[in-house]
Amino acid sequence: MAVAAGVLRISELSRGLGQAGLLFLRRPGTRGLARCHPQRQQQHFSSLDEKPQFPGASAEFIDKLEFIQPNVISGIPIYRVMDRQGQIINPSEDPHLPQEKVLKFYKSMTLLNTMDRILYESQRQGRISFYMTNYGEEGTHVGSAAAMDNTDLVFGQYREAGVLMYRDYPLELFMAQCYGNASDQGKGRQMPVHYGCKERHFVTISSPLATQIPQAVGAAYAAKRANDNKAVICYFGEGAASEGDAHAGFNFAATLECPIIFFCRNNGYAISTPTSEQYRGDGIAARGPGYGIMSIRVDGNDVFAVYNATKEARRRAVAENQPFLIEAMTYRIGHHSTSDDSSAYRSVDEVNYWDKQDHPISRLRHYLQSRGWWDDEQEKAWRKQSRKKVMEAFEQAERKPKPNPNLLFSDVYQEMPAQLRKQQEALAQHLQTYGEHYPLEHFEK
Amino acid sequence: MAAVTATAGWLLRLRVAGIRGQWRRLHGAGQARAFLRPASAGGDAVQRRQVAHFTFQPDPETHEYGQTQKMNLFQAVTSALDNSLARDPTAVVFGEDVAFGGVFRCTVGLRDKYGKDRVFNTPLCEQGIVGFGIGIAVTGATAIAEIQFADYIFPAFDQIVNEAAKYRYRSGDLFNCGSLTIRSPWGCVGHGALYHSQSPEAFFAHCPGIKVVVPRSPFQAKGLLLSCIEDKNPCIFFEPKILYRAAVEQVPVEPYKIPLSQAEVIQEGSDVTLVAWGTQVHVIREVAAMAQEKLGVSCEVIDLRTIIPWDVDTVCKEECFLNLEAPISRVCGYDTPFPHIFEPFYIPDKWKCYDALRKMINY
Repeated sequence: MAVAAGVLRISELSRGLGQAGLLFLRRPGTRGLARCHPQRQQQHFSSLDEKPQFPGASAEFIDKLEFIQPNVISGIPIYRVMDRQGQIINPSEDPHLPQEKVLKFYKSMTLLNTMDRILYESQRQGRISFYMTNYGEEGTHVGSAAAMDNTDLVFGQYREAGVLMYRDYPLELFMAQCYGNASDQGKGRQMPVHYGCKERHFVTISSPLATQIPQAVGAAYAAKRANDNKAVICYFGEGAASEGDAHAGFNFAATLECPIIFFCRNNGYAISTPTSEQYRGDGIAARGPGYGIMSIRVDGNDVFAVYNATKEARRRAVAENQPFLIEAMTYRIGHHSTSDDSSAYRSVDEVNYWDKQDHPISRLRHYLQSRGWWDDEQEKAWRKQSRKKVMEAFEQAERKPKPNPNLLFSDVYQEMPAQLRKQQEALAQHLQTYGEHYPLEHFEK
Repeated sequence: MAAVTATAGWLLRLRVAGIRGQWRRLHGAGQARAFLRPASAGGDAVQRRQVAHFTFQPDPETHEYGQTQKMNLFQAVTSALDNSLARDPTAVVFGEDVAFGGVFRCTVGLRDKYGKDRVFNTPLCEQGIVGFGIGIAVTGATAIAEIQFADYIFPAFDQIVNEAAKYRYRSGDLFNCGSLTIRSPWGCVGHGALYHSQSPEAFFAHCPGIKVVVPRSPFQAKGLLLSCIEDKNPCIFFEPKILYRAAVEQVPVEPYKIPLSQAEVIQEGSDVTLVAWGTQVHVIREVAAMAQEKLGVSCEVIDLRTIIPWDVDTVCKEECFLNLEAPISRVCGYDTPFPHIFEPFYIPDKWKCYDALRKMINY
């Protein structure tokens, strides 16, 4: 009861502390029920006289049998700066970012949205094989990316293209990867949206979920040893957080004291699986304290809340060499991917609510407009301009040839093993005789 | 273990003889020793623990690399790690229980010498150990991860096969984890049973992107481990645990490298080729001697050393399959999990190998 009450008190406090800024949920204090008794020989034996000596926990004894009740009705509160209409709730929480920066937020999110629409369509038309949109989650990408240093390493899952967009990854390269054309820095090896960019410190995405989490922790450990004031940020969804690798990553980050930000995009669904079937506790944020990790839950559709939380987390992660867990609540407006039709498991009304009533782009636009930094005319012009940019990149990407088939064989190892070279030669020979049955005309010679 | 066996034997004899008076000796302190009769007193009724199925054959000492020192296999490993930590400031060694020196003493002294940020324990989580190691390597630092027993490498299988092996290829060489080495005690040890005896290299043998290496001796171990650590690809280094103490050789103190993906012909021969790796190399060496002595058969003995990418050219000359006079014979454990009490029957000992060779000669 004491511990459960402690947690409840903290959440009540934090609601009332809206004025006082960010609150990271702390471990319940170690001061327990026992009062200190002075040593008295003839004292009647009381279990409260002894202090526990167990190496495994720092806690007091209790003589009342009680199970801690998990609190999921009144969970960890959600930090936000703007209301759903983009108005600042508490002026002291407004990060007061300069106009130029906030416009960059807005343009990154909207350009991503435009690119998503066009590339989703291109898959429907059979031009690319696969695509995943980021609808509704643009705020999580851009707010967090803006709060990190440009040289901080990013480990993503697959729905973080806005981070790359914010770091000015060119449209040409997004498209090159989706088309697998000769300009793709990934050399056409992976399915669309598996981006990577060494220059922009964005580690190439892989399909297996949550595998990036312990890797990000290792990278953060190396950054700590290198003493260069860098942090690592690791993105994953609430579904991936169920993987064993997530547990492994959290535990390693805490025990090895790594400067890492775990950023969970809780968007309500893992393909068709709603959160009620993904976990039974209070989301992902509530797991942090279990590992000894500073944790917070934020409104992921509020780009300033995401920015503030990530900024502070990064500052402290580097200064104190400890991990931070940010659970950004949001909603996946789009389908899981082009292979999914989400009308099979959720209502159109539900999706429309988020699209119309609580969208990160709309909320930021209202903020911009209320500041006089944006208006309908600029909106119209920007929509036209961004669409044009995307279409140009798209048409170019489509026209480019695919990479030389020899690139099928390189980079397995740093050096090509003799056996693989033999296989490469065998394919070349095979194509000499049977080349007509292969789509050689689309590939570079 | 021996004490319990003796006790059981003693108690069995008690019941058979019906000497009830002896029960009084069970009570009271200091009578515990009454149980612990020497095994020899029990005669043949008590099975003694088996001696090893092989004899370690050290290679002749080499002076190619400077001063040498008598080392067993785990000491050779420590020496390799010591050299790496000394020369590469980014190198770190981590895993379960490595801080105090490791359950096989491979990391003794390293934490004191290089510091707790470079030699450290991790939580008990193999998928975490390998994932974490990959992450360190992605930044370019040298990661040397220990998996406590090869039998426990499976939780890390996804990280090894889906991640480490494919990192460079899938990123178009933008990223890689080449500076990762995973080392792990491997193979039968006489009493390890299902979960302390496994040789899982076959699970990794068809995974392009990683290298898998198994040494036969302390000298080979140090040179091959150093090659793995410096190799620009993720490597798995399996250390035959039965050789940790049993194998002793003169090993150079300074670092040196033995090339990967190169098998070694340790004995030339003209009639039969015997190929093995790790502990089994010593078994087939003995089989080659037996074949010469009893059958007048000349055996070529090859230590494969690297399982993947393997040295095809040394093992099979081009079109060798057209010129074999008998089908290839595989002598290995049976298609069962690795048993405990039945180990002597399970392992491909020299008699089974000799018999296979004899049948092959008579094909």
